[in-house]
Amino acid sequence: MDVIAVHVDRCVGCKTCELACAVERGSEGKTLLSAVREAPQPQTRVRVEGAGGVSFAIQCRHCADAPCLDACLTGALARDAATGLVRVNDDRCIGCWTCVMFCPYGVIFPWPERKLALKCDRCMHMESSACVDSCPTSALEIVNVDKLADAMAEKRRSAAMAASGIAADGAVLLDLAK
Amino acid sequence: MGTANYDLVVVGGGAAGLNAAFSCRERFPEKRVLLVDRESEIGYYRTLLPMFMAGNLTEDKLFFWKPGDDENLDTRLGVQVRTLDRTAKSLTLDSGETIGYARLILACGGHPVVPPVFERAVTPEGVFPVRGLSVAREIKDWLPDHRDIVVLGGGLVGSKTSVFLRLAGFGVTLVEKESHILPTVLSADTARPLQRHLENMGVQVKTSTTIDQFKADGNGAVTSVRLATGEWLPCGTFLVGIGSAPDLGFLQGAGLVEDGELIVSPTLQTVDPEIFGVGDAIYIRVAGGDKHNPWTWPQAVNQGKLAGANAFVTSPVPLKRTTRVNAQNIAGVPIMILGGPGVGSSVEARPGPGDGVWREFFMHDGRIVGGALVGDIAGAGPLHFTMAGGEDVSEVADDLLVPRTRAFGASAWSSLGQARRATIIPAKGNDGC
Repeated sequence: MDVIAVHVDRCVGCKTCELACAVERGSEGKTLLSAVREAPQPQTRVRVEGAGGVSFAIQCRHCADAPCLDACLTGALARDAATGLVRVNDDRCIGCWTCVMFCPYGVIFPWPERKLALKCDRCMHMESSACVDSCPTSALEIVNVDKLADAMAEKRRSAAMAASGIAADGAVLLDLAK
Repeated sequence: MGTANYDLVVVGGGAAGLNAAFSCRERFPEKRVLLVDRESEIGYYRTLLPMFMAGNLTEDKLFFWKPGDDENLDTRLGVQVRTLDRTAKSLTLDSGETIGYARLILACGGHPVVPPVFERAVTPEGVFPVRGLSVAREIKDWLPDHRDIVVLGGGLVGSKTSVFLRLAGFGVTLVEKESHILPTVLSADTARPLQRHLENMGVQVKTSTTIDQFKADGNGAVTSVRLATGEWLPCGTFLVGIGSAPDLGFLQGAGLVEDGELIVSPTLQTVDPEIFGVGDAIYIRVAGGDKHNPWTWPQAVNQGKLAGANAFVTSPVPLKRTTRVNAQNIAGVPIMILGGPGVGSSVEARPGPGDGVWREFFMHDGRIVGGALVGDIAGAGPLHFTMAGGEDVSEVADDLLVPRTRAFGASAWSSLGQARRATIIPAKGNDGC
């Protein structure tokens, strides 16, 4: 499953992603100039938050055991079989906000004007995601979660090498058939 | 009639039962599952019935599943379970059929409590419980000619039903026996502005009273009901939205019911580890002996999924969350319910800016045990999980009570506090003008 990952060290909190998301996914006109004049105001599905001098963009994590899926009273929230992503079927959403209450990350947003719960669907029907494309510091990146295991294995390998003082490819990971 | 054997039998096809069947089929694809339900139709969203009755929703939007999609998931619909024989590991149905099981999941749900006034007499026409789809259809057909409605029970079901019917133009009176609406989940202070909101919509709210008498016309249809205060309310339709007493009659003699309650462990097993219980029918007993059940839709789904996945494993997994969290949108005013006031909890409340915005927490030993957000629900999700995590928030509770409009709770920096400045760059050619 491909999800949007955030490099916290690269995010400068400029909120370009919020604008790009609202314009690309929320507006009729698809340009910033027309979007700001639209009513109801286009909404973003990604938010930049932070504390203590660190900022980062956060959007739906598409949790493996997603509490919002259990919470939805109308079947509007469902996991897409092909991509594994959690998405809202606007036709079925009645704006009861139960999912909002159940999202541990606070990334499902009520949109009272349209009576819809708004969340990131990773722009699954587009070639790439608006926020990722627009990030000026490349802080947002699409990663495949299945490949994270490989990244972790690589981390263990380098830790093992550092600990044992073996140089280069001398270390072998015993838990991977590689 | 004949006999049949299944790996798993699920009694009850509501949210909990269906999800139990789905999750077992997904987790153990080789197991054959049977669903038994007293209704002839299952696989619909019960929570949408008030909208459906009011005519705001077409029937196709109600359904999420139809029997027959999965050949290893059989159904027996429109039948009731008569008896359970634990030694033979079998159920008998009122159709005469005997069903053998390896594992059993009881998800038989609850039913509205009939007010005593109707128990003593023949129930007149126009009196309906708010529960299943078949009754909802009857209500929908009955309503257009009987537009004055009395709803008994100011809980979530009753108030939601009142709101949708009022929005559809019916005359609605809501009767609640406690001193305020939503008594199990809100404090009186929080319920008051909501009650005002309902009254402003045109719903008449009668609290601290109940129905003690009724009148019917020559055709046996209800025409008016009397409040305990002596006031007669004319009504052509009387809807009961109170209580949910599970129907556990068929479990008699099976040794599973304790003082009239079906009690399960946190892994959702009854005293018989091959029999599970989920949804509205049960109480969960946690370590220390406390019994509880949130009785919400999200909980029913969650419990169903867990019981289905636990059915054929050697080490069943306990339920993670049992928070009584629920949400409702009462005609534009969103309410998030974190949970009801427990014994010995204190109330910390703060009215927000403007009428109808309110936050309250029920606190115990510095932890949030319940509360409600009314009007402004931002940050509700993280707050829910802060509560579920049992964190000590005594230091920050004041901040959490401030209504927010951003995704994160009080601990996070919010863009609303930022000073924003823009420099206007003059258009080219206008310099020096």
